[in-house]
Amino acid sequence: MIKNIIINFKKYTFLMNQMIARDFKVKYKRSVLGVLWSLLYPLLMMSVMAIVFSQMFKFSMEGVNYLVYLMSGLVIFNYFSEASNTAMTSIVSNFSLLTKVYIPKYIFPLSKCLFVGINFLLSLIPLLLIILLTHAPISIYYVFLPYAFICLFLFTVGIGFIMSAISVFLRDMFYIYGILLTIWNYFTPVFYDISILPQKLQFLFKFNPLYQYITFVRTILLDAQMPTLQSFIWCGSSALIVCLIGCLVFKSKQDKFIYYV
Amino acid sequence: MIELKNVSMKFNLGIEKTFYLKEAFIRFFQFNKRKKSEDFYALKNISFKVKKGEVIGLIGSNGAGKSTLLKVVSGVMKPTKGKVIVNGVISPMIELGAGFDTELTARENIYLNGAVLGYSKKFLDEKFDEIVEFSELKEFLDVPVKNFSSGMTAKLAFSIATVVDPEILIVDEILSVGDIKFQEKSKKKMMELIKGGTTVLYVSHSLESIKDLCTRVIWLEHGEIVKIGDTEKICDEYYNKQMG
Repeated sequence: MIKNIIINFKKYTFLMNQMIARDFKVKYKRSVLGVLWSLLYPLLMMSVMAIVFSQMFKFSMEGVNYLVYLMSGLVIFNYFSEASNTAMTSIVSNFSLLTKVYIPKYIFPLSKCLFVGINFLLSLIPLLLIILLTHAPISIYYVFLPYAFICLFLFTVGIGFIMSAISVFLRDMFYIYGILLTIWNYFTPVFYDISILPQKLQFLFKFNPLYQYITFVRTILLDAQMPTLQSFIWCGSSALIVCLIGCLVFKSKQDKFIYYV
Repeated sequence: MIELKNVSMKFNLGIEKTFYLKEAFIRFFQFNKRKKSEDFYALKNISFKVKKGEVIGLIGSNGAGKSTLLKVVSGVMKPTKGKVIVNGVISPMIELGAGFDTELTARENIYLNGAVLGYSKKFLDEKFDEIVEFSELKEFLDVPVKNFSSGMTAKLAFSIATVVDPEILIVDEILSVGDIKFQEKSKKKMMELIKGGTTVLYVSHSLESIKDLCTRVIWLEHGEIVKIGDTEKICDEYYNKQMG
């Protein structure tokens, strides 16, 4: 079975490349700055938020490099929100294609997650720039950063699969998910520190996988420390479980998509 | 090569009705609940076998289930019941230009559309010139397709779709597109493909071309097979039934 999946995957890599390339070309078509926007956008977002929030949370986070703190959270959350959102709409917006030729349906959400992933990698450049400018410590533990990124990716793919499958049957999901994402954003400590919350709430917040990934990255970037073993396990297991659930949900529902065009 | 065993395709027409909260609310308080069966069978218990090299014509009036049958064979739809066994690579020519992105140039679309149709990169690299040559759009290669006329788009789509060396060809009446000159050319190309010894499923309303091309004919009506067999005989019967 696994062998079959790999063969199938290989067969459609070219299509996936083409689709990602298409998204990339279309996205920056006719914009003067083009791909530079992928670098500028997170920087500008960070600047705005830094101006607004750095004074507000000054006391709860003394001695913390707030710019790096903010930027790392932003980059990760933005990846998740944009990728899962575009993955969700990918099935419905490609219905005209799905009803004409046979293409494995998982390709659509997956290619969207990969496409936004390229943007994510690009947005690491301004993050690195901020790190260098603010003289944040650079350590050997940077080698563990990809681990968090892979977890983030798997988690996002899982959520993207689930949302894209649901939204075929319930188009209201497009709107509901937008609201959910906003709520999720506030419940993820992107610009504030979790310690300002009461103990009980803190405990709940730690169940948020995105919090886990962001904290993992921040431990490395800000404290120049090795993330705890617990952190490794938490990130890995939440990513794998959600990804697996996503695959199963998508697989069991995909044959019915065609009836809900 | 292709085998269908008791294939049925059920559509629930009720799904098409938009589900509104308001209606659900009303229905909840309705006491005499009527359960309407809104199932519609586009295909009912279809079974047949196609051997390698056969050219099968599908005839029947509009809504008989011909296109659904093609979609089931090509894998776009999974049958509600029954089994579809296909040995070989299918080249579906059901609709041209599926997956064109009008923002992209013709050159980019050749690769994108080619990938959608399941071609490999190597194959497309090799056949790129042939596609361009056939489409007669050499000067417009780097123009976004949104600026093309519909005829030009059709020409490009046709050229990409027919560059294949197919094992199984599924054709839904796209014999000719474009201007007169291109129509002749595309018709010839299709004939070449169909007569090239591959297995073909061919839907058409033109009995002339069916008689000309097919070795066997399947007559569908209301999702069921009326008759299978000799081309001439069934075509004539079908014609008489439709006209008489």
